[in-house]
Amino acid sequence: MALIEVTDLTFGYGSAPLALDGVGISIEAGERVAILGANGSGKTTLAHWLAGWLPSQGSEATRGKVICRGRPWQDWPLAERASFVQYVGQIPSQQLSGQAFTVRDEIAFGPENLALPEAEVRERTAECLAACGLEKIASRDPFTLSGGEQQRLVLASALAMHPQLIVLDEPVTNLDPAGCREVLTLLDALPPSTTIILLDSFPRVAVQIARRFLFLNNGRILLDGPAGDVLLHPDAIASLGLPNAAEAAWLAKESGAWNPATPIPFSIEAAIAAFQQVENAAR
Amino acid sequence: MLRVEELGFAYPGAALLFSGVSFEVAAGESVALAGRNGAGKSTLFRLLNGLLAPSQGRVFVNGADARDVPVHILARTIGTVFQSPEQQIFEARVSDEVAFGPRQLGLSRIESARRAAEAIARVGLTQYSSSHPMDLDRAARRFVAIASVLSMKPRVLLLDEPQQGLDYRATRRLEEILAEEKIAGVTVVFVSHDMDFVARNADRVLVLGDARLLATGSPASIFSDGTLIQTAGLEIPAALAISTALGLPASLTSRDLVAAWISRLQAKR
Repeated sequence: MALIEVTDLTFGYGSAPLALDGVGISIEAGERVAILGANGSGKTTLAHWLAGWLPSQGSEATRGKVICRGRPWQDWPLAERASFVQYVGQIPSQQLSGQAFTVRDEIAFGPENLALPEAEVRERTAECLAACGLEKIASRDPFTLSGGEQQRLVLASALAMHPQLIVLDEPVTNLDPAGCREVLTLLDALPPSTTIILLDSFPRVAVQIARRFLFLNNGRILLDGPAGDVLLHPDAIASLGLPNAAEAAWLAKESGAWNPATPIPFSIEAAIAAFQQVENAAR
Repeated sequence: MLRVEELGFAYPGAALLFSGVSFEVAAGESVALAGRNGAGKSTLFRLLNGLLAPSQGRVFVNGADARDVPVHILARTIGTVFQSPEQQIFEARVSDEVAFGPRQLGLSRIESARRAAEAIARVGLTQYSSSHPMDLDRAARRFVAIASVLSMKPRVLLLDEPQQGLDYRATRRLEEILAEEKIAGVTVVFVSHDMDFVARNADRVLVLGDARLLATGSPASIFSDGTLIQTAGLEIPAALAISTALGLPASLTSRDLVAAWISRLQAKR
């Protein structure tokens, strides 16, 4: 049984054009999936469905459904859902509880609400403070932090719930490059059983985490497959651009200087090796 | 156009966020401000536009000490696009939001509306002129904030992470606007964590870190300083990393990298 099964999901806000139009995705436990789409393609709406924030009262699907572990979200008690799935959104300040006076309390807030034993709450809080590089600012008021610090705090609070599924909606937009690398390392180190769904408008972070890529355009899934099949499709390139490490090889290919037998690389290391390979073959 | 002398700042009850910061930015120059989260980049912007007063040192805007100029007068020269567009949008229609600035400059209703329409067209939101800004997606809201600053025709543009939340096409549009402003002689200072964006758009980079100005220089010189990259938590733009590893002339963009690589290939044949 798939971990999460989205079937023909069709959903809109009021009289606006449909945000999602017949979306179908099946994700297995432990998959690392990136859903990529331009601004307005429906990413955040889909993220809310995948994380169980939708449906909500008055916001039901026009058509289709989302089934997680064989049950629709409506059948999940809130505490059970919150310990199963966590959502990290794009605007971190909107995700702070407003109930905590310090960074440490903010991280402890979720586990405390699961009524976990005090020692375990302390342990999880310490672990996530360290993992997200927040120890030095553990006593600060969350609302006085910079945008990037808040984003790491929201991620730490999500991880403290030990979720099996984590939905990340543009999770590194506010982060400095070093912070971004730390978060990617952190995500990479999550247990293999943790399912990660990343939603983004650029492929550069996705290529470092995901092994499966979906291209969302105007609320429809147009492509689903490995990086080479999805990210190099002309429609995806026009709307997402190329990952920065792939761009040079792609331009070389367009100039006719690339060897078609060498795949387009997606990381800087792979790009260096690929350029050397093409150059050596040309001698 | 902008001159900062020995600038230092501390929030009440806190240690100095930075001190001894000095730099100048010329008219028509495009400067990127880089550094870790919490290094004080957004705070520095608030010192430049007069929303905060320096704890130490001075800021000169077009020759005048910023302390002697009321914030609303300073705003005629310096336009600021803040990090969260939601924090600077308050009108119920895009056209009113973008016309608000020109109205505050004392321009007529007709001239303000004309300027607003022009700025809205530049950011590509003409069809949303009558929409409520908060009904638009995040990228469009950012462009509303950008248009509402452009309509005031400031001589200095401060943009705090302007490409954040923008997709590929929207980023290209932003880059075109920045280039047009620069050509028109506007001073552009922007914060960005995207070093490829910095490499494409900045003439010069200021790096803030360790409570001071760590370095200032061309993107090529900043990004070739490995120790600085490490200390300031930056990263090397992809094209530069690849061109250096391949022994090619240092290239900041993929286009330059490929041109250099192809000419080497041809020379070998």
